[in-house]
Amino acid sequence: MKDTLEKIRLNTLESLKNAEDEAAIDAINLAVFGKNGSLTEILKGMGKLSKEERAAVGQLVNGVKKELEKELNERKAEIAAKMQELRFAKEAIDVTEPGKISMPEGHLHPMTQTYREIRDALVGMGFTTYEGPEVEYDDYNFTKLNLPLDHPARDMQDTFYVNDKVVLRTHTSPLEARALLNLKPPFRLIMPGRVFRVDEVDASHSPVFMQMEGFVVDKDLTLADLKGTLLTFIHAVFGEDVKMRFRPSYFPFTEPSAEVDVSCTLCGGKGCRLCKGTGWLEILGSGVTNPHELENCGLDPKEWKAFAFGLGVDRIASLKYGITDIRLEYENDARFLKQF
Amino acid sequence: MKLPLKWLKEYVDFNVTPEKFVELMMWRGFEIADIEDEMPGISNVVVGRIEKIEQHPNADKLKICTLNIGAEENLIIITGASNVFEGALVPVAVDGAALAGGVVIHPTVMRGVESFGMLCSGQELGLTEADYPGAEVYGILILQEDHPLGQTIQEAVGLNDIVFDIELTPNRADCISIIGMCREAAAALGQKFVEPAIKQVAGEGDAKDYASVQVMDTDLCPRYIGRVVKDIKIAPSPAWMQKKLRSVGLRPINNIVDITNYVMIEYGQPMHAFDFSCITDGQIIVRRGNEGEVVKTLDGKERTVSPNVLLIADPARGVGIAGVMGGENSEITEGTNTVFFESAVFKGSNIRHTTRELHHVTDASARFVKGVEPVNTQLAIDRAIELVAELGAGTVIGGNIDVCAADISERVINVDWKHVNHILNTDISAEDMVKMLDTLNISAKVEGDVLVVTVPHYRVDIESSIESDWDIAEEIARVYGYYNIEPTLMQGDTFRGCLSPETRHEDQVKDMCVAMGCYEMYNYNFTGPAALNALRITEDDEKYLAVKLMNPFGEDQSLMRTTLMAGMLNTVALNCNRKTGHGRFFEVGNVHLNNNPDLPEERKMLGLIFTGAEENFFTLKGVIEYLFRKLGMADRAEYVPGGSQFFQPGQKALIKVDGQVIGEMGAVHPETRKAFGVPQAAYAAELSVKKLFELRENGKTYKAIPKYPTVPRDIAVVVDECVTSAQVAAAIKAAPVKVLLENVELFDVYRGTGIPEGKKSMAYSYTVRAEDRTLTDEDITDAMNTIIRTLKETLNADLRA
Repeated sequence: MKDTLEKIRLNTLESLKNAEDEAAIDAINLAVFGKNGSLTEILKGMGKLSKEERAAVGQLVNGVKKELEKELNERKAEIAAKMQELRFAKEAIDVTEPGKISMPEGHLHPMTQTYREIRDALVGMGFTTYEGPEVEYDDYNFTKLNLPLDHPARDMQDTFYVNDKVVLRTHTSPLEARALLNLKPPFRLIMPGRVFRVDEVDASHSPVFMQMEGFVVDKDLTLADLKGTLLTFIHAVFGEDVKMRFRPSYFPFTEPSAEVDVSCTLCGGKGCRLCKGTGWLEILGSGVTNPHELENCGLDPKEWKAFAFGLGVDRIASLKYGITDIRLEYENDARFLKQF
Repeated sequence: MKLPLKWLKEYVDFNVTPEKFVELMMWRGFEIADIEDEMPGISNVVVGRIEKIEQHPNADKLKICTLNIGAEENLIIITGASNVFEGALVPVAVDGAALAGGVVIHPTVMRGVESFGMLCSGQELGLTEADYPGAEVYGILILQEDHPLGQTIQEAVGLNDIVFDIELTPNRADCISIIGMCREAAAALGQKFVEPAIKQVAGEGDAKDYASVQVMDTDLCPRYIGRVVKDIKIAPSPAWMQKKLRSVGLRPINNIVDITNYVMIEYGQPMHAFDFSCITDGQIIVRRGNEGEVVKTLDGKERTVSPNVLLIADPARGVGIAGVMGGENSEITEGTNTVFFESAVFKGSNIRHTTRELHHVTDASARFVKGVEPVNTQLAIDRAIELVAELGAGTVIGGNIDVCAADISERVINVDWKHVNHILNTDISAEDMVKMLDTLNISAKVEGDVLVVTVPHYRVDIESSIESDWDIAEEIARVYGYYNIEPTLMQGDTFRGCLSPETRHEDQVKDMCVAMGCYEMYNYNFTGPAALNALRITEDDEKYLAVKLMNPFGEDQSLMRTTLMAGMLNTVALNCNRKTGHGRFFEVGNVHLNNNPDLPEERKMLGLIFTGAEENFFTLKGVIEYLFRKLGMADRAEYVPGGSQFFQPGQKALIKVDGQVIGEMGAVHPETRKAFGVPQAAYAAELSVKKLFELRENGKTYKAIPKYPTVPRDIAVVVDECVTSAQVAAAIKAAPVKVLLENVELFDVYRGTGIPEGKKSMAYSYTVRAEDRTLTDEDITDAMNTIIRTLKETLNADLRA
């Protein structure tokens, strides 16, 4: 009996060692511990033994049983781990293959993205958006802004006319007149929109382009406030490192007037092709609102002050993204649009 | 405005580099676009004398020249030009020389003989006849005067200066003159500008005995001054004058014409000289043209004028077009004996109209348009007469003939100097302001709070109006330095910065389109009749009412768009033709309808266009439904067959929300597609951004999440072909079930085997649930039976077997 037991033990251990998969383990389990298993047979035969023998043999059999059970479970876990490893190897993928999405991504036009960026900087400074019509009264586009009929500066902006009294707005400034006539000051406005000039299309000109104007009306505004506002704004849009140059200029609707340059975004001010060697890029025109404009729109220029600044969104987008030909912005080639 | 450095140096001590000068002027509001060499890009070209000319042994047309350029050894240079001769002084491009157009010269072997440079033509040096006589002659430029051998060509032709090209702002017409620019330059350099003294020439006799001037329209000609000079000796003007004229791009003609041009450059006042013998009865009449009157101008062109055009005339005929160009009939010629000089102010706006009417702009007209000033008119003619005397060009007759309706009295304005400080946020004392203004030759004195300013006659930009304080503030700021203005933050009320609800809405709509895979387009607002025609828009369509431009670029850009369709189709055509591989685009833009006598109606539209193998009516509709879900209007939307002619019949729908039409969509009509060059099917929609804004759901209210299970069920029914999906869905939703019936959705339409001809099977899914309990099988079956019964009753629908 003892020998038989030892034989079972050795045979089983040997079989376990040779088992390669879970099925083999299950077969061994059945052959040893099953209903007619070798160990089960031995346990069945114990009834024939004497009480003393039964206790001794029982202890022996239990010892073997425990040992074999343990070995079997261990081998089973080992095989399971190995099988999983094999499965993982089989399921391994090329992680460098491209990902998949059900919907291809869309793109906002670079001009919209630039506009939003500029606009949001101003919203943070207390400005609110204000819009108006593209087809506009000559009166609002020019006369109210201190550009009466036959003013020589009207030639600065070649105008598309609909009739004697109606034009395609040449700038967003008619919104200044609309705001002054319709809103109660004080206010701070962002006035975006398309504007139109009789300009033949080329790499840097377009008869249609997008302008954005800032307009503030309050009691005690000064040229210094305009400069400070622009400095804050420019740092928000172009970064804190950018330098600003605020220099005298002329616009009929402002006085004093200023043009604003920023240090070249490409070379940082050392001089390059983009800034034509000057180190500076002209980005906007501005000034203290001309008292005639305030008066024309029913405000007392001694009581109220205003300032305004306007920039071409197309131009800022071109500078920001290094777009060298403005025509690309109105052509809508998908290979252009998807870059932004 | 071109300012030659040499000319500037006559008025200021130029003690800075040209680059520093550019910066100083920039801080004064004068942008210098360029510092030009008078001969840009030309280097290493020197004066040489041709010592010997030999025939090239191997080429008939080539000559071998021996050139003496003042160096130890002579140079051998081969030329093909025929106008060279021994002893001629010519420009010699030596090894490494740079010529016009970026050409660089190196020794080269020509037909077996080495040439060590090149003889240059005027053209190769970038010279015109105005720069140097003979420059446009075919062949080598033969230098006229004696020059040291080896001298640079720049010095030889007198073009060795630099010229500042200044971009003037329209308010400073006084600076379109050397004197005006030098005033500002002196101030920028911190120097006092001394007004040049003009020597008055008394002359003999009285001009009034010779000539008379009558101005019929003083509003168009506020001042007209004439002087007479007799015994004219027409001759070339002196070299110094010719050189100066050339340096600003003018071509010397003769002493009299050159004087008028010189004064125009120097003082900014255009002048004209008439051959006085051609003026009938010596009477100058400034009058409007007669309808259809013809004046032959100096350039030989016959110009038909109208009463809008001001003429200089004599009793018999027009002798010039005021402010634009003189007449050929009174032109200065070799035989001119007596000259009538004109210095006048013509109204800028009228000259502007004239140049537009005649399609002709001249140096003179451009200056009149920008504005000339009546005191300067007198200075200019005095200067011209001074030059006549200086050049010995004739005998000056005494006295002006001056017809003056303009106010030429001294202008004094009162400025609130504290207000000036307020505008600039500065703290400058009144006394300092006086000093600052003095640097600009503006005299002022302090009287308490008031600065009494005497405005120089040439500063017409400084107004006597409410603007005075601002005008002087600007002058003070220019002197004080914009760079010295300390930036400040705005004081006063705080403001809540925000996007207007409309702007936010537009942002959201654009972002939704992007989320649906669309690229954003920007198309021009212009369109034309051909495009409207291609869109099959007819007179009965409101989109036919386009706003028409008076001065468009061309017929195809003569209208403002009434629909976004044309631009969208152009975009799709471009992308198809270039095979860019993307077929979903959107645009938010305005269209205009000319349906209003005042301003046209402006509508902000959202346009969507899809093309490509995977796209169809329903992929586009899916995106619109997505937008509507996001905007909380999906349940209120309906799609009614119909829409514009640019859509294909049977595949187009008007889109309604709450019963209002807010847009339309459809398959683009094949004929329209063809006209725009779109090679494949395309689907487009146009929706009113404003209506979407008005009808969108603002603010949401939380609804409790169901506590009891929701049970999904499907049902398929067979209906007549004419029954629409919307009808079936509506019937299901309307079925009088006792449970909550939700999520009714079509998931399949089937025609074919098992379904009778003229019928179709439509399969819907839906869910049922109850608020207060778990549904029993009986509840669920009962609901389905109710739905089936309702469909049978309303649409004669049968459950699909």
